[in-house]
Amino acid sequence: MKRRSVLAIPAAAALSGLGGARSHATDRIRVGMLKPNIVTVIYWIAVKTDTFAKNGLDVVEKPFPSGQTSVGVEQVLRGDTDFCLGATGEVAHVDSRYVEAGKPSPVALLEGGVVGGTFFCLRDDLRGKSLDELRGMKLRIGLSNPSSYHLILFRAFLRSRGQTTDDFQWRFLTIGGPEMLPAMVSHQLDGFMHDALTATLALRAKAGFVFMSNDRGDMGPEAKSLPGTGVYGSRPFMEAHPDVTKRFAQSLRDASDAFSAAPRADMVAMMAEWSRQDPAVIDDLYDRFDPRVGMTPQAAQAWWSILGSAMVARGEISPKLTFTDVFDLNYLRPRS
Amino acid sequence: MNTIERIVTPFDVPPGYSREDFLRRMQLRNRRVRLRRLWRGAAGILAILLVWQAASRILGLELLLPEPLTVLRNVVTTLTVSDSHWLYGPNIYVHLWHSFLRAMAGFVSAALVAIPLGLALGRITTLREFVMPGIQGVYPIPGIAWIPLAILWFGLGDAAVVFVVFATVFFPLLFSAEAGARLISPTVLDAGRCFGARGVTLFFRVVLPATIPYIITGLRISLGGAWRMIVAGEMLASQDGIGYLLMESRFQFRAVDLMTAMILVAIVGYATEKLIVGTIEKRTIEKWEVQPS
Repeated sequence: MKRRSVLAIPAAAALSGLGGARSHATDRIRVGMLKPNIVTVIYWIAVKTDTFAKNGLDVVEKPFPSGQTSVGVEQVLRGDTDFCLGATGEVAHVDSRYVEAGKPSPVALLEGGVVGGTFFCLRDDLRGKSLDELRGMKLRIGLSNPSSYHLILFRAFLRSRGQTTDDFQWRFLTIGGPEMLPAMVSHQLDGFMHDALTATLALRAKAGFVFMSNDRGDMGPEAKSLPGTGVYGSRPFMEAHPDVTKRFAQSLRDASDAFSAAPRADMVAMMAEWSRQDPAVIDDLYDRFDPRVGMTPQAAQAWWSILGSAMVARGEISPKLTFTDVFDLNYLRPRS
Repeated sequence: MNTIERIVTPFDVPPGYSREDFLRRMQLRNRRVRLRRLWRGAAGILAILLVWQAASRILGLELLLPEPLTVLRNVVTTLTVSDSHWLYGPNIYVHLWHSFLRAMAGFVSAALVAIPLGLALGRITTLREFVMPGIQGVYPIPGIAWIPLAILWFGLGDAAVVFVVFATVFFPLLFSAEAGARLISPTVLDAGRCFGARGVTLFFRVVLPATIPYIITGLRISLGGAWRMIVAGEMLASQDGIGYLLMESRFQFRAVDLMTAMILVAIVGYATEKLIVGTIEKRTIEKWEVQPS
């Protein structure tokens, strides 16, 4: 028995050496994501269209519940995941805490969605009222978490008008995305700020209307291109494995290309599977939501100047934090 | 007459001591015991703080486990911060006050229902046999499991949080009152009856005082439970309060604010326990010199 063990060790070492030689084909990465959640569906499209495998990556899926956006950065910090797909605001928060402490920022946004996907829906009887008219009303607005990307964006928009949320009589209530529609139907909420899926469900139920959407340009022309979905990773991992990081980013871009090229019905099926929704709902959503990634330096700069400055003004992040502390776009291949 | 004088009768004085000498010796001994407890407690806390400081500093965990001094400074800053420089909406005192009101609303309403019901169940066997199985069946449901149903029933807001606190603290209060009332010694009851106490008089003069130690224990356990549940409830169904503050600071990745909020909960929880349960205890157990039967 002992002799067998002794012989087994060099054999295993030889095999692992072989694995190392073919590392390009078998690099294993751990990827965290909000699940089920429509904003991270590009991950599932990458899995289903084999773009990770084609880029020599073996992905270990590390999902975390929708709404728990801070779990993603916490997982990256603990070293439990290498990359994550989720919200963008938390990356700035965590980097800011490190920069305030005189340490290098530990997490970087390396890629992002091509659209923001923020939908501010209100119940139907508020239709026709302007933002100024709504300002004095005691509205209850649902958010998936207190530092929601959608709220950050709304605050940034208000800032451009010289206002803050304190100027409004509204109450912002934390509630899970799936509960927003039932809460609005049962008059517990007057509206919500969430993603395209929740907005679609509200529209289908005739419970409300889209009051504002950044994709529509309601929150300013620059806000149209803001990346709503963030793809971020551990800086030490990315610096130690630049090739793996590039291939991971490329996998998501390849999945985006696959989305563009695939028939609508195929993509609807994939998106329905990932978000656990009825395909009819996803079909309704399809023209309202673009799951692709493809962040440009201009979009990242727009994010920084609009959302970053709003967060600095509110004291959420330090003025010492710089664009390069939050973003690292060096792993993206330029689009041909 | 102080406590020692009341307790020590002439029969307790050992031979060779005068009553005064013995009392003086007892007082000195008690003072020594109190001092010993104080310094041992302080040493224990200091040891924890030192380990905490060392872990934070040596392992470089300042952002995940801020140093105790940093947290202490932040507690002071938080208590003196003005609204205009505060990231978490209203002033900290408003958060604490709202949490306190919600916790007390749930706690007091539960006490008003659970204690009389518990006393009745403890004394009336027929009622106990009908009601207790149902209550024991519901009891294992954790307080936090009531939150989705509370939101459905009462909507997002204070009522849901108050209900969750009610559902959490109701059972310890009920069970302690019921046990207290059920376990009263028949001798005590017979003694009361011998002195002519019947019905309401027997209840207020004998049953209630004999049950008080149990009720106090139930109140003490429940108040802690109320604070634990208020934090969980506010995390999910509120836009202010200490639970909301904890949640927001987590999303802001501010461990120092998280720990500050936790310390403030501990301080307020301890203060309310001393103030409310302590006062009730003084006005009942100590005044009536009640011993569990």
